Amino acid sequence: MPEDRSRMDIVHGVPPVAITSTTTLANRTGSWKYIRPIYQDKVAPCNAGCPVGIDIEAYMNLLREGHLDAALDVLLRENPLPATTGRVCEHPCESVCNRKKFDEPVAIHAVERMLGDVALEAAPPAPPEQRRKEKVAVVGSGPAGLACAYHLARMGYAVRVYEADPEPGGMLRYAIPDYKLPKGILAREIERIRALGVEIRCSARVGKDVKWDEVAAHDAVFLAIGAHQALPLGLKDGGPGVLAGLEFLRQVNSAERPRLAKKTVVVVGADNTALDCARAAVRLGAASATLVCPVERGAVPAFHADVAEAEHEGVQLHFGTRPGAVHAPAGKPATLECSREDGSKLTLNADVLIAAAGEQPDFAPLPPDVKRADGAVRADDLGATSRTAVFAGGDLAGEPRTVAHALGAGKRAAVGIDRFLRQRAGEKVEADLAQLRYGGTGNVSATRWRGDDPVRRSGEVNEIVAFEQMNMAHFQHAPRHADRRRPAAERRSGFAEVNLGLPPPHAHAEALRCFNCGVCNQCEVCLVFCPDVAITRRAEGAAKFSISYKYCKGCGVCSFECPRGAMAMTREGL
Amino acid sequence: MSQIDIKDFVPEDEYMTSGHLACPGCGGALAMRMVLKAMGPRTIIGLPACCWTIVAGPWPQASLKVPLYHTAFETAAALASGIKAALDVRGDTETQVIAWAGDGGTLDIGIQALSGAAERNEDFLYCCYDNEAYMNTGIQRSSATPWGAWTTTTPEKFFENRPKKDLLAIMAAHRIPYAATASIAYPEDLIAKARKARSIRGTKLLHILCPCPPGWKAADEETIELARMAVQTRVFPLMEVEDGVRWRLSMEHRGDPVGPYIRKQGRFRHLSDYQVAQIQTDVNTRWESLMRRVEHGT
Amino acid sequence: MKKVIMGNHAVSWGVKLARAEVIAAYPITPQTQVVEELSEMCADGRLEGRFIKVESEHSAMAACIGASATGVRAFTATSSQGLLLMHEVMHWAGGGRLPIVMADINRAVAPGWTIWTDQNDSLSQRDTGWIQFYCETNQEVLDTTIQSFKLAETVSLPVMLVLDAFFLSHTSEPVDIPEQAEVDAFLPKRQALMKLDPNDPHSFGSLTPPNIYMELRKRQQEAFDETHQVFEEIDADWGRRFGRRYGAIEAYQAEGAEVLLVTSGTVTSTARYVVDQRRARGERVGLLKVKMFRPFPTALLRAALAGVPRVAVLDRNISPGHGGIFAEEIRSALYDLELSRRPALDGYVVGLGGRDMTPAVIEECLDRSRKALQTGQTPEREDLWVGVKE
Repeated sequence: MPEDRSRMDIVHGVPPVAITSTTTLANRTGSWKYIRPIYQDKVAPCNAGCPVGIDIEAYMNLLREGHLDAALDVLLRENPLPATTGRVCEHPCESVCNRKKFDEPVAIHAVERMLGDVALEAAPPAPPEQRRKEKVAVVGSGPAGLACAYHLARMGYAVRVYEADPEPGGMLRYAIPDYKLPKGILAREIERIRALGVEIRCSARVGKDVKWDEVAAHDAVFLAIGAHQALPLGLKDGGPGVLAGLEFLRQVNSAERPRLAKKTVVVVGADNTALDCARAAVRLGAASATLVCPVERGAVPAFHADVAEAEHEGVQLHFGTRPGAVHAPAGKPATLECSREDGSKLTLNADVLIAAAGEQPDFAPLPPDVKRADGAVRADDLGATSRTAVFAGGDLAGEPRTVAHALGAGKRAAVGIDRFLRQRAGEKVEADLAQLRYGGTGNVSATRWRGDDPVRRSGEVNEIVAFEQMNMAHFQHAPRHADRRRPAAERRSGFAEVNLGLPPPHAHAEALRCFNCGVCNQCEVCLVFCPDVAITRRAEGAAKFSISYKYCKGCGVCSFECPRGAMAMTREGL
Repeated sequence: MSQIDIKDFVPEDEYMTSGHLACPGCGGALAMRMVLKAMGPRTIIGLPACCWTIVAGPWPQASLKVPLYHTAFETAAALASGIKAALDVRGDTETQVIAWAGDGGTLDIGIQALSGAAERNEDFLYCCYDNEAYMNTGIQRSSATPWGAWTTTTPEKFFENRPKKDLLAIMAAHRIPYAATASIAYPEDLIAKARKARSIRGTKLLHILCPCPPGWKAADEETIELARMAVQTRVFPLMEVEDGVRWRLSMEHRGDPVGPYIRKQGRFRHLSDYQVAQIQTDVNTRWESLMRRVEHGT
Repeated sequence: MKKVIMGNHAVSWGVKLARAEVIAAYPITPQTQVVEELSEMCADGRLEGRFIKVESEHSAMAACIGASATGVRAFTATSSQGLLLMHEVMHWAGGGRLPIVMADINRAVAPGWTIWTDQNDSLSQRDTGWIQFYCETNQEVLDTTIQSFKLAETVSLPVMLVLDAFFLSHTSEPVDIPEQAEVDAFLPKRQALMKLDPNDPHSFGSLTPPNIYMELRKRQQEAFDETHQVFEEIDADWGRRFGRRYGAIEAYQAEGAEVLLVTSGTVTSTARYVVDQRRARGERVGLLKVKMFRPFPTALLRAALAGVPRVAVLDRNISPGHGGIFAEEIRSALYDLELSRRPALDGYVVGLGGRDMTPAVIEECLDRSRKALQTGQTPEREDLWVGVKE
């Protein structure tokens, strides 16, 4: 019989029917496009909004991936005191958090606090193996000085800190009460800095215990003596009985706290110092604590959350109430006349009258060639003063009066000192501030200065990613976790911490609420939605995905769908 | 978790290659990619005349890694019936058959074959990838073209003035075991539905909305966004119906106003605000009737 | 085993013995008995296959295409309107080189509605790439059905076997039905090399540009060329096994004929009778039966007709605007014969719409041609209508 002729043979160059023998990969459909997608990591607004200059987005992402150690590393590269800032910083990062426009901002402070507390239990970062020969002096161990010492030590410098007070910490130690920042936490954070080899000499006031010449003999000096002189209290006919706020707080923060049992306490002021005075008074047994605040509630410079706390704790608050005549003889109860906007009057009696009118730096210890302007030492973007090899930062140099700004200033000065010393040693180094600052407008990044970013990035540009560049469709609403708070009744009896933060699972959940703005976190939305199967995963290398431009038609779906705005469409390269 | 982790819902394996000739941003290309991920390699596709006739690759190229038979326009469901019968005879109970047709090939010229196969409860998955017109031949209206739309055969002065045929209701009337609507903007839903269909014997139908940038006169990059908005405005609700009587909503539909969805598409640009409001009323009415179906069954 | 069965059932028996695996069919008079019998055979297990009760003939062919493309043996049957409805997909089966077998019960086409026989339905499909066989007897129907599967699967072309409505479909005759084992020995299970198979995925029938389409057509044509030889081998093989041969054409009492009738279908039987009668009277007339219409048996016809003075083709069909289709094609096949050997050809259009072709009708055609032979008259028209009311 004839053989089966249904062969898949080729005759006249074709099989018997139109049966395919190859794939469409032969068509380079990439030639169709006039625009192409690229991975372009941008800067999250929180990074730029943080005065310390922390890669918040990066550590949130690492936490999401379960890499706790790596997250700690990212945080500690920029912030030496996370357990502290997690407690006392007013977290401007949260005000600019993009999630705020979706539902509620990520509780970044709570995550930082959780990480900070974990870091206390972990081994501190080791001093670097590469040492530099230069020696740097830091005057003042407040947050600015501590930060500068920390960063310089991590860069390999030998650092000696001169601290006037018996204990290090500055405002952290002597102004902020335990119920906000337990002394033990602070001490252990400072231990981390000592573990890097930083020498902190206490009770070493420059100009009294230590000569300026000793300080100036170092290869570089960082001045961070802060602002501790109380400004004139501004109360008419103030008598010796009026206590300066900061002075009161120093007493509160000493081993022997004042006893205010059954005393009536009145505090005049509107800033954190004033509030803390009132809240401390409550805890010290005062029969009543009253705050006379010259500005309206909404306009207080103090942390608004703290105002609510004070109220919760029983502090009487009078807003828009200006202090007038005061009669405060020494050792006797004082009387304060106040007036309001509407013309009404208020007379208050006080066993203890405290006025928090702000502070100013004491320039006396400083050499005259360190020039000043507007009540502060003049320092450039990286802390350099008018005197060679002398740098300044923090409250001394006109920085906004927050812990975070001081930490940030200390870091900038460390970068400035490093640049100065390297250039002096003949190295060709330059500091491009526009690149060093997160998003160009945020604080300087120590990691960027050192150039050893551990995070994998693609096509990075130093621009803050706008909310409009992101795609909210891929996110689900999730409520923000609220910090646990000690009940009011428990608070008044002592100085135990008021804000108990979040339990680790909730802090972790907050990290998961982070959008990871602007930086690819391998969610694969781009890969899934590509109609041309042109995006594949890459195991290694900077970019985590590979776009095959041979086939990509430039439709732009990937970039449009990217939840976090980590892509862009460009005509470049076509 | 804040972001739906799409990796968990979308299988990794690909059964489609790049280099196919679909337009940039083609919804239909993505729909096939997703459905095949759910169906796997033991799948045979019957493909009538439609955009995918081209996207499948000109001979000798194939863009799919599963066997595919090109067939006449109106025959998808009949062809699939024959393929499945042959598999039965060969004792192959594993390989699944997909009839992959456009809206025209389903609701117009192909409706007889679909109705016949559905009535016989033939065992295959019928996927109607709906771009709401005869796009392959240059954007002519079909019975799936929504009210108000421009097409080349419903020019602006005489825009489409009939409502879109209700494919799900037609399938429900046939009492097939499973029919569902899906959208490429919700791949986790689409893939879950395809998987569910795969596990059922009998006629299954997936009606997938696939925006078409040239045909809808919309931006390439907004294909997914449109597929999403269609669902959230309730213009194209995601539902399932089992055995023709049990209706279920697949997810929350926010009920966003239709205006922004309509205005993103040039095929509706001639509509006045009043006409857009009419569309809104229509969507609302239809939604209520769908909710009654969900509550009371057919 | 010998059984008296109607023509339609002869098809059913053939399909059953050939072990068709998928049958998709839609009812139409006078095909219904074919599929009814097959339906019963599937139901009681005599035939192990799937029967798809499709909702139209177009879908019937599409379903057969799906099944055949997946590598199984597929069959359908139809008639007239149903065949016309299938037309688009007939091309698909042809160009798709799918070995589908179909029985067409020749029925005239509407309008007006008619259920009686003529050949317009099947002949109007002559360009669709199907092999076509016109059957004369119930036995031939059964034999041809089985042979068609073998032929189709050997050359990868679909085959249509044609029966006259009622005259053949509904007439019962004794038929020698072979044993299953005998048929199995003749026709093994189909082994399709090109099929839909997830283990070896390809796409079939993709967009084919101009630079390649012609070559596909050429291959189809070459398969038709092969068919002549293959059919002869199959026919001979069948003859050896079962003692019956048919040939693509069959000459009957043609030796030395001056006028040769050419027929197809059941009218051939009547024509044999007429020829016998005339030969008995000493007239030199003969008969040529055409069984295979596609591929057109040009060489065989030329050989059989060269030198015959006059040929009378009986067409039970008409291509409006031209003439009887067998006549046209035969005339064309004879064109290249040397003038002296080229017969004169009378194309008679007869029996349309089931009008009975009695011996008298055949004799009229025969006598007209004999007379024309004597007078040397060329036909007035290509189509000579017989029996039409004036």
